[in-house]
Amino acid sequence: MKAIETKDLGKTYRARVKAEGLAASFRALVRPQWISVDAVRGISLNVEQGEMLAFIGPNGAGKSTFIKMLCGILYPTAGELSVLGLSPARERRKLAMRIGTVFGQKSQLWLHLPAVDSFTLLAAIYEIDNAECRRRVAELTELFGLGEFLHTPVRKLSLGQRIRCEVAASLLHEPELLFLDEPTIGLDVVVKQAIRELIARRNREHGTTVFLTSHDPADIEQLCRRAVVIDHGGIVLDASVERLKSDYLGKKLIDVRFGTPQRIPALPGVTVSSESGGQKATLTVDTAVRPIGDVMERLSMTGNVLDITINNPPMEDIIAAIFQKEAVR
Amino acid sequence: MKKHLKIAACLFRLNLASALEYRSSFLTQAFGMALSNSSFIFFWWIAFQQLGGYIAGYSFQDVLFIWATTSSAFGLANVLFANAANVTKLIVSGELDAYLLQPCNVLVNVLCARTSLSAYGDLAYGFILMGLAYHDTAAAWLWFFVGVLLGSLLFSAVTLTAHTLSFYWGDASMIGQLTTEFVINFSIYPDKIYGPAVRALMYSLLPIGLAIHVPLRLFRAFSPLTALAALGASLLYCVLAGVFFSRGLRRYESGNIMATRL
Repeated sequence: MKAIETKDLGKTYRARVKAEGLAASFRALVRPQWISVDAVRGISLNVEQGEMLAFIGPNGAGKSTFIKMLCGILYPTAGELSVLGLSPARERRKLAMRIGTVFGQKSQLWLHLPAVDSFTLLAAIYEIDNAECRRRVAELTELFGLGEFLHTPVRKLSLGQRIRCEVAASLLHEPELLFLDEPTIGLDVVVKQAIRELIARRNREHGTTVFLTSHDPADIEQLCRRAVVIDHGGIVLDASVERLKSDYLGKKLIDVRFGTPQRIPALPGVTVSSESGGQKATLTVDTAVRPIGDVMERLSMTGNVLDITINNPPMEDIIAAIFQKEAVR
Repeated sequence: MKKHLKIAACLFRLNLASALEYRSSFLTQAFGMALSNSSFIFFWWIAFQQLGGYIAGYSFQDVLFIWATTSSAFGLANVLFANAANVTKLIVSGELDAYLLQPCNVLVNVLCARTSLSAYGDLAYGFILMGLAYHDTAAAWLWFFVGVLLGSLLFSAVTLTAHTLSFYWGDASMIGQLTTEFVINFSIYPDKIYGPAVRALMYSLLPIGLAIHVPLRLFRAFSPLTALAALGASLLYCVLAGVFFSRGLRRYESGNIMATRL
């Protein structure tokens, strides 16, 4: 059975437009002008149960609108839609019992109360009896390492601790399908990695379908097997993450800082993107041409390396590369 | 129904626990509101001292009754359903998402999700006034309780209806605020000081008169027909407010603002 099926799904908004200036504001008061905005344009997409799908695109591409239609928050204006065999618009409450959501920007925890109190409320909302709730909270506490701060008001938690509580809260009712919208936004690398491992484990052990949007390429590389890229409300690319990796994620950025000014040796597949006085440099490495370990070794041989970090290129650059390449095809 | 009562009870406990996180703020606001209400009663006392026994057909005792009922009804509405006054913000900023993602009635979830600290002062103040003015009159207490229950529902329903307009017109916060002020003014003065058009309004579109002035009349002279009519009309208004909100929900357009639950 498919977890998500959409056919020519569309959402059109009516937006008010107004020219610049006060006079235009008065004119708009008397005679408002409206335009239609196609936030989502004819998206057809199937997601299998147990699949982990990355749904990516630049800001304003229509990702959030699409997810909100899948969750039953927004009504589609065109096309067909089925999530876990249900119509989100007509069967919102039934669907909500079976899906979990983590929207990095929106919290479902009560700021002034400990997370455990929010879990109690969620148990009432999801019709989980007290004994079962205690069992699940204990399980999630162990899995997510919440024990130290489960009884601390959420406002006093670090962002990483709060996000761990958010993800745990979204799993309390054991959803079959998990929507994650920027779940690692603002987190440090260690916490990001912990969150990814927890999500992957949930998918492995419970077969939970994961629908992920993220601007962090590492989230996509490490969690998903398939990626769908959208822009201007339509699908630009639907491919395996393996293909995405080989075609678009093959580049890595190395930031290096030396104790004394150094000259970076010329290497095939390596571009020195910026250099400031010879003490700092950013290298773009095409890993298909030269392994990252090789470049690291060469850098350390130059001597006096004080600091070195490896990063993925920004998602915007990857998406821009996808658009360029797909346009050529 | 049972599930939603459980959710409402759970939200009430969380709201109260959240309020008690800031004990001094809670106590200051609650006592401050009770003190503010007392000043109005003092002015009414002076007015009756100057003008004699009745103002627009109401004695000082009657004014104490409508003040007590209004204060406790408004207090109860805002202890239990303070989020009614926040509906415009939830709609305009896209914060309804969090409620739509949960498998329960959106309206129950929204209305019960917030409490007002000062409302505890309003709620208590009505009981204090009744204790002072009608401590040994059982019938007065009966109609006071009826008025408080119906009034709390009507205060919330009227506020909700005004803010629901945001689904259709954009930001209706000003209408919501004005409506709340109107219904409070309709409640705390004898209804006969208003002209026929305003009186028609306070028993129809903004029907707070049904919960404040009608119980006073029923206390003075009981009429089963009036009691049933007031009860039926009040409940019908609340149901229609709920339907209006549910219809409006279909026009909800969400948003991407950062949000957290307080």
